Amino acid sequence: MDMDTKIVVHVKHAYKTYDSLKAVDDLSFSVPQGQCFAFLGPNGAGKTTMMKMLYAKAERDRHPDTVVKVFGYDPVHDELAIKNVAGVVPQEDNLDVELNVVQNLKIFSKFYHMPSRYAEKRINELLDFMELSEKKKAPIRELSGGMKRRLIIARALLNEPKLLILDEPTTGLDPQVRQLIWDKIRSLQKNKVTVLLTTHYMEEAYQLAANILIIDKGKKVLEGNPQGLLEEYIESHVLEVLDKEKFTALPESLAKKVRREESGERILFYSEDPKVIHTIADKLAKGSFYIRETNLEDLFLKITGRKLHATQ
Amino acid sequence: MQHNKSLYPPLLVRIGSVWFRHMRVYSKNLISNGLPPFLEPLIFLAGIGLGLGLDLGSIYGIPYPLFLAGGLFMTASMFTAAFECSFGTFIRLEFDKVYDGMLAAPVSANNVLIGEILWAGSKGFFFTFCVLIVMSGALLLLSVENMFSSLFIVFIPLLGFINGVMFGAFSLLITSFVKNINHFNFYFTGFLSPMFFFSGVVFPVHNLPPVLKELAEIFPLTHTVRISRVLCLHGLRGKYPGMDAAYLLRPELLLDALYLIVFVVVISYLAITRLKKRLID
Repeated sequence: MDMDTKIVVHVKHAYKTYDSLKAVDDLSFSVPQGQCFAFLGPNGAGKTTMMKMLYAKAERDRHPDTVVKVFGYDPVHDELAIKNVAGVVPQEDNLDVELNVVQNLKIFSKFYHMPSRYAEKRINELLDFMELSEKKKAPIRELSGGMKRRLIIARALLNEPKLLILDEPTTGLDPQVRQLIWDKIRSLQKNKVTVLLTTHYMEEAYQLAANILIIDKGKKVLEGNPQGLLEEYIESHVLEVLDKEKFTALPESLAKKVRREESGERILFYSEDPKVIHTIADKLAKGSFYIRETNLEDLFLKITGRKLHATQ
Repeated sequence: MQHNKSLYPPLLVRIGSVWFRHMRVYSKNLISNGLPPFLEPLIFLAGIGLGLGLDLGSIYGIPYPLFLAGGLFMTASMFTAAFECSFGTFIRLEFDKVYDGMLAAPVSANNVLIGEILWAGSKGFFFTFCVLIVMSGALLLLSVENMFSSLFIVFIPLLGFINGVMFGAFSLLITSFVKNINHFNFYFTGFLSPMFFFSGVVFPVHNLPPVLKELAEIFPLTHTVRISRVLCLHGLRGKYPGMDAAYLLRPELLLDALYLIVFVVVISYLAITRLKKRLID
């Protein structure tokens, strides 16, 4: 990263405690301008809380070492200055269902003190951008989940934000809509918009983020770019044996060469060497196994464990 | 380019945009939303004021329907503000997540809650105004009294605003304690309904037994009703020589005004401080 790159989000030693639960436990990261930065973690890991702390929707713990700066502003003192240049897409839809698409955006344009004529122009641009122009007058209750999500993204873009905070932007959406939203995020990044993203779709992080931060139980587990993390922390190939009861033990010579994980009914064998994987597979019945390259999901499960936490 | 050069919109714009949002959403279903606060006082006036009032004749020198009208302006404002900032606020907070959306824009939690209270006041103003016009018209048609002949009634909607702010703030404070929407029943049935009968709306407070009389002075509604009634009747004093001095403008009313100011400031402060904790994680 060259020295001139502006740091948009700078967080050092952030903490957040709810009663006795440490939601965010000593997180540090920084995001340069124009980068897409993703938080990965299971439900309840503290991703959303960390995001909320950036725009003062959540109050961080008072701690002498904590530094939180967004565009140089501390959310504790300058939340309004931050929110004026940051667009937020919250996890839960919160559109006004009594109103239609344009009216929802119109109401938000007031929050940004936009002159009426300018707001109308901007709203039309954004509806076009998010491919919602045909739904301009549609009441919110007639919109599909994907349309609502796109409308909320359009709303977050009203004031031409320099930072976009997306909390699980595509959860529950079908593949077409997901791809569309990803494309839109990429095109925003061409305009130097910095993007912060939480997701538990590994694919999403892989597609969009230059850097990912894996967190679990409020703590940083790993940070880096997706390809780098895969190369460094997990074998390149995996064999999934689909029914572990039908599987007989591996000969010692092969067992040494693979890492074995069990998950429910499956056994997974990880290895850097595809040949080893295929040697094992040769002895298995057709259709009882599956060979593939490893992905972020494998890494994620390796790092955060396969069992569910109480908070999930 | 950003269209506004300043760091963020000024205070009045921020509060005003919260107010605008509520106005826009509410007026979308104005007829169905507005029916209860508008019609209920009129039904009450017709049922009790005319029905009972005809037998009652006059009360402290004035026709009973006229007496009752002076109180009902404030209950119209009270109920609309109370519903808005109890059920309304709770639904926005817990179910519709409206505040989560607002707080993503350059608006603070304080701005949101002040906008909320002012919106309750505005509804108080609006319904007091509507009920005033229709009730005065009805009383005129029934040749009970021409209230339009008194200039003082122009201040009644303004008092309706203050009354709305008062019950808006108070209901927000109640909401800050409520975790389950059904618990508002305690507030409405346990507090607002009794207040309706013991605050001088239906009969004068000094007819109450001593203990209740003291209690009535604690109720916020008692004070706005007292002022409202004076605003209704002071201008008509010439017509009712036997009218009780309690219905004329007099310095003691400043105490009622003082109560309103203190109540609004203290309760708003408490409500905002407590509810802010539920808006911010």
